[in-house]
Amino acid sequence: MLEVKNLSGGYRNKTIVKDISFCLKQGDILCLLGPNGCGKTTLFRLILGFLPAQGGVVLLRGVNIKNIKPRQLAQSIAYVPQAHHPTFAYRVIDVVLLGCLPHIAVVNMPTEQDKRRALAALSMLNIVHLANKKYTQISGGERQLILIARALCQQAAILVMDEPTANLDFANQQLILKTIKQLAAEGYTILISTHSPEHSFLLANKVLLMRKGASIAYGAPREALTSETLKNTYNIDMEIVNFTDNNNRCHYFCVPL
Amino acid sequence: MYSSTGNDGRLDNRQGRYFFLIMFLMTILLFILSFRLGYYDIPTKDVLKVLFAKIYPIKHTWPDEYEVIIINLRLPRIIAAMLVGAALSMAGAVYQGMFQNPLASPDILGVSSGAGFGAALAISMGLSYQYVQVSAFVFGLGVVGVAYSLAGRIRYGQIISLILAGAILGSLCSAGITLLKYLADTVDRLPAITFWLMGSLASVYFDELYIAIIPMMIGLVIIVVMRWRINVLTLGDEEARSLGINPRNIRLLVITGATLLSASAVCIAGIIGWIGLIVPHIIRYFTGPEYSRLIPGCLLGGAFFLLVVDNLARTLSTMEIPLGVLIAIVGAPFLLNLIIQEREW
Repeated sequence: MLEVKNLSGGYRNKTIVKDISFCLKQGDILCLLGPNGCGKTTLFRLILGFLPAQGGVVLLRGVNIKNIKPRQLAQSIAYVPQAHHPTFAYRVIDVVLLGCLPHIAVVNMPTEQDKRRALAALSMLNIVHLANKKYTQISGGERQLILIARALCQQAAILVMDEPTANLDFANQQLILKTIKQLAAEGYTILISTHSPEHSFLLANKVLLMRKGASIAYGAPREALTSETLKNTYNIDMEIVNFTDNNNRCHYFCVPL
Repeated sequence: MYSSTGNDGRLDNRQGRYFFLIMFLMTILLFILSFRLGYYDIPTKDVLKVLFAKIYPIKHTWPDEYEVIIINLRLPRIIAAMLVGAALSMAGAVYQGMFQNPLASPDILGVSSGAGFGAALAISMGLSYQYVQVSAFVFGLGVVGVAYSLAGRIRYGQIISLILAGAILGSLCSAGITLLKYLADTVDRLPAITFWLMGSLASVYFDELYIAIIPMMIGLVIIVVMRWRINVLTLGDEEARSLGINPRNIRLLVITGATLLSASAVCIAGIIGWIGLIVPHIIRYFTGPEYSRLIPGCLLGGAFFLLVVDNLARTLSTMEIPLGVLIAIVGAPFLLNLIIQEREW
């Protein structure tokens, strides 16, 4: 689905992301971990085609994204930004409808069919009741869900999410994590960055740890996340503990020492 | 009226449709009634007959002077008020979205200052009125063009760069205007420059309208066709690109449209402030901020608003009240009210 090979890139003559490789199949969730400024956002920009690669390639279904037009790329890869507070009080449905953009010719307006698609995206996330609310008057968690709905409306198979749980309270974080898991189960391929290493145990089947733009470890969470790799990533001592609950489910936690 | 209680139903589509229907009917009604205002009273029946006779030949039952007054004096002024109001309101709405700033006005890239300088220059050179108009239009367009290309060389984001370049060129033009006024002949040219800058629809005839109408229509078509995509610009560049859109292309197209609109409005009526700032806010109250509804709303609402204000300007007293003054008197308390209510835009 999405393959990143020895990717390097950055701004002007400064290379920020160095020699990153990973490969995602349909339904995969990759968690990207690393301290602030380690190049997670730059890596996303490279994958979304906002920045040209300085070395290596990003392959979408085997095709170098360099050779894909922005409109077509947007039909395959959707970006879910962090929920923000917009200037104008748009209706939720109008925000979601913008996801139809890559499918609508330059001079055309969205049709009734596009509106149905936007509503379908909302109902997929069980938030159809928000459709006529103002985007400025719903909670942060709901705003994040709306942006996910916009990505679904975009009908892209790959979702790139920038810290979707940042700035959310505990319940909303769980809601977003649950939603991400469901989407992967339905066949979406998901790439998320997060500041909580535990989230990768909760939802990801792959994890990539980054420091100073380079890859520290990559693989299944239980193999790649060790106290050693976490120490190398965040430069603090951490231990991974597990705990089996009454239903015999095993939970993993990262505990700073 | 401006409560922010949320689900007051104003975002409901059906109400939006009623708004357009009511606004449209009110504008037509005002259009016809505006012919009755003025020193010489003409019955509504004859107004309708004279107007209808222009489209379809009917029996001539009215005095000839009615036709002269309606067609040659009042019609151009009424049309000009509607066109200028619609153009400035649409341009204001566009810039407010593009700069993600509810206080942006059509002048943000320096179009009025440039046009003012162009007009002042032509007047102080003693050129005829047509040249004054052309000079205003060319300088208005030119200043925005220079601001846009300068912004490409400033190493901030494009939005900040555009605002900076627009502000710098705008103040340069204002300085130029001041200099020209200082040097101008105080008997006839200084008053002419001052009156032009105040903005007025008092001396509009069809000759002036003809010059401005083509660029205005081009701008109008661009903005109306692109109206849904203007929404993308309010998201910021990164998100726009993730939706497969190059925000710079849309921005260039939309700036071109808005500049054609405001430059031709300025060239018809001089500098009329405030309207491009206020009308989008009033309309947003009814249609919401979504541009595929806001733009047609501003088209109708701007035409209606300026026609109301111009009717007041020519009938409130025996002397014409300058439009800019009247709009500011109506607009300042209104805007203050919006700010005090802390309404969401």
